[in-house]
Amino acid sequence: MASPLPSVGTPTFDLESHTSNYTPPLLPLRLLHIAAHCPPLSHQALTLALEVIKLGKDVSLYHRATDLASLLGHADLAVKDTDWLARREDANRRELTRLEGELKGYKNNLIRESIRMGQEDLGLHLSATGGQAAAVTKEDELEATATPSMQGLVVAYTTMSRVRDYCSTPSHIAGLTLRLQQIALQQAVTAQQTGLSASPHWQNVLATSNRLKSVGVKEEEQVLLTPLAAAGAGLAHLCTSDYISAAKSFLSVPFSLATQPAVQGVNFIASTASANDIAIYGALTSLATLSREELQTKVLDSPFRAFLELEPHVRKAISLYLNAKYSACMALLSRYYADWSLDLYLGAGLSQGHSHVDRLFARIREKSITAYFSSFSSVSLSSLASTFPPTGLAPSTSREGVEKVMETEILSLISSGALNARLDAVNGTVVAPSKDARVEAHAEAGKLAEEVERGLRLRLHRVNCLISNLEIVGAGAPGGKGGKEAWGLGY
Amino acid sequence: MDILTSFPPLKALGPEAFDKQITAYLTKLDKLPTAAFSKAKDGKSPLDVLSPSSNSIPYMYCLIEATKSLGKDKAKWDELLSKVTLFYATFDPTQVRYAGQLWCDLWKWTADCLDHLGIIDLSVLSSAILRLDPSAATFTSLHLRFVRLCLGNNTPSQALPILDRDIYAFPHANAKNVLAELPSEELGLSNAYINEKSGLSEKLRPDLIMEYYLLGAQVYIGTRALSRARLFLELVILHPAQNHATSALQVEAFQKWLLIGLLTDGKPFPYPRTMDQSTIKALRSMSKAYEALTESFERRDSAKFYAEMDAGQQIWAENGNYRLVAEAGQTLMQYRVSDLQKTYAALPVSRVAYHLGLASEDTLSTLDNMIRTSSLDATLTPGATAAEAVLRFNMKSSGRTQNNVDVETQTKRIEELIAAVRDADKRLELTKEHIDITKRNKRTGTDAELADQMDLSWDTPSAPAGVMVISEDEAEEDIMA
Repeated sequence: MASPLPSVGTPTFDLESHTSNYTPPLLPLRLLHIAAHCPPLSHQALTLALEVIKLGKDVSLYHRATDLASLLGHADLAVKDTDWLARREDANRRELTRLEGELKGYKNNLIRESIRMGQEDLGLHLSATGGQAAAVTKEDELEATATPSMQGLVVAYTTMSRVRDYCSTPSHIAGLTLRLQQIALQQAVTAQQTGLSASPHWQNVLATSNRLKSVGVKEEEQVLLTPLAAAGAGLAHLCTSDYISAAKSFLSVPFSLATQPAVQGVNFIASTASANDIAIYGALTSLATLSREELQTKVLDSPFRAFLELEPHVRKAISLYLNAKYSACMALLSRYYADWSLDLYLGAGLSQGHSHVDRLFARIREKSITAYFSSFSSVSLSSLASTFPPTGLAPSTSREGVEKVMETEILSLISSGALNARLDAVNGTVVAPSKDARVEAHAEAGKLAEEVERGLRLRLHRVNCLISNLEIVGAGAPGGKGGKEAWGLGY
Repeated sequence: MDILTSFPPLKALGPEAFDKQITAYLTKLDKLPTAAFSKAKDGKSPLDVLSPSSNSIPYMYCLIEATKSLGKDKAKWDELLSKVTLFYATFDPTQVRYAGQLWCDLWKWTADCLDHLGIIDLSVLSSAILRLDPSAATFTSLHLRFVRLCLGNNTPSQALPILDRDIYAFPHANAKNVLAELPSEELGLSNAYINEKSGLSEKLRPDLIMEYYLLGAQVYIGTRALSRARLFLELVILHPAQNHATSALQVEAFQKWLLIGLLTDGKPFPYPRTMDQSTIKALRSMSKAYEALTESFERRDSAKFYAEMDAGQQIWAENGNYRLVAEAGQTLMQYRVSDLQKTYAALPVSRVAYHLGLASEDTLSTLDNMIRTSSLDATLTPGATAAEAVLRFNMKSSGRTQNNVDVETQTKRIEELIAAVRDADKRLELTKEHIDITKRNKRTGTDAELADQMDLSWDTPSAPAGVMVISEDEAEEDIMA
């Protein structure tokens, strides 16, 4: 059946094994993303998602999953388990009251460490339950602009932030910052999926990630934090479409990330992004933004290569690009288009029409065309079209049609300044503008000379006026005759 | 008559002796009764006896005297005018430097006379100015008067000999402690003898200078020397001001400047870096209509541009910019075509027509016209119909720059530039001294001079003792203030 949401083809991975790499709280969100955009897997993904959600405490997420099921037409999954819901809500509420009561007690006793832990437990509970119960009971309830789940997470974030007041060691701060990063991520992804503005949350992710770089903990602890900081910042940049910074951040992730244990109870590679994911994100953003030379030195011949070994096909894509085999590179990348579009971060924005994969692919394509063209003085549109088959076209499109699409693409590339070429619309060729360096240098020098000369004359005029006291004096001031009234006064 | 011819002596004089003698001679002349200049001797008019080239000063006296006794007889006017013309062609500029007031009067009379006789050839006047000061580099009130006359006569091109000379200085009061050079000496810059005391120019005011440049810019716009017009307009816009005062003349110049930018670059010129921010603000607030116009021009939004052009007709007409605006309208079309060459090497006319929003036939004739007037560097290959004709841009040159940059004019321009730089240096040296004096005479501590003041303080250690004392005094004054 046709999906009401934009969908992609079947991915190459097996759902079970793919998702076994990840853990909540982002796991159900991953599954929901796949369910929403991949019709062949949607039933299986939703089933898995509901299982996972039922193990957790988030009631609002359960509602969202069942709503999605009815939207996608999986009637069997759309039925709400009211029994579970009632039990869960009740349990959540009781747990919350208990935690709040305990915290109050700690506060009365003024035991700093206990208050910190109580506050932290409360924050964790709120983030695990999506904060719905809290939203009702909390005094500082925020404006009801977001969905209940979002609102709850905001409460969770602010509650967690309050832990800072009771932290006494750098290690505490590190743990707190890490948890804040996780909650911010959860917020950001939820906002993306529900179509809300995610960028403030990504800013939080970025801020907390940057803070992780210098929390003042001991060297051996910092070694564990640095990879998380770089990867978190990379994700934030990627999801705010700042691909250049994203590439830089991902490339700086040390490979120790792949093997390191959980830090302060947060297992980053399971909860947030695996080493394989980092390899893909890093490779795609680098391909889209870095120059050929940088790709060689900063990606292939750098410590990042260790990541690439985990995903040999993206490493191959980069080498193909470096060897100027652009069409092979594009073909290889597009084979994994579905996989990447179903990724939680890369596929974000799919509901709005353009995911980050689409944008990155477009950039890589643009760069390839520019690089391909740079070695020719003239290329026909038809040969361009065969090297870079336009994407998103029915295979039955006639040759003229393909060239027409190619022409539009080339025109937009030229007018955006990405491609320095001219289109010969009559012969159907793209021509490199022939440059006469000598003439150009002459023209440039002439222009410059003129500029300088004019500048000097203006300055001279100014100095002369000052020498002779010929400044304009405002009306009112003695001798103020500047302006219209002087017109027509003869001598 | 003997007195009249008593100068110059037969043997050549050094500058100082010349100065002494001519000053004494002038006092003698002043004491003579006016009749001495008009009385005929031996049946001859003094004008016939005196030589305009060696007895320039008495000759001028006589001419002035003669102007007073002219009746209504046109022949007499003509006769005197021819004498004046002869005088202008042969007079001794060094002598005339001493009789500036007289010279000014005579020049003005000539201007009136030409007007009276209905002669529109004003070259006499311009060559007179150029003989006195071949560089015409010191601005005098006569410059402005001359340009006004030319425009009044509807012969703006006649003003070019004067306008083409760049102004390097304004007449100024000779600084007291700077040793004044003698007018009789061979001098590099004409402002050494054209100063406030010489009488060769009347008292100047900032608005007169701005008017000169504004009128000059109009002449250059008329003669299509747009880069020169730009310079003139910028000179007006950047005229220094106290307390961010802005002149109406500047507003007018600014409006023209915006339009010229559209004509030459297809977008407004960048603001000169040294421009005062609050002046920019004031100017812009006075030129809203023009700003809107340039904005739609820059976006190549012809529909909006033409609509604004129609809506603002009254404004353009009132400011005398109607023709410039209309021309910008035509240029807009050219820019829209030449924008295409940033994207295309060649394209069928039908596609050009699509981009311009015109019919193919109209487009073809427009393109034809543009290529003919060489405002577009391209070739047209006719097809079976207008739509099938092909427009092929000439790829060799980019944009509207000429194919061959003339190396010779290039060199000349650079040489001019070097001269200008040298001159600027020279002027700056004068400035320091001058500011030193103005600061002492009247304390006008404007921020405009801050840079120069700083220079001064750096110079102080090496300056003579007298200057040191001055700056110390000032330091005290600063504290007091």
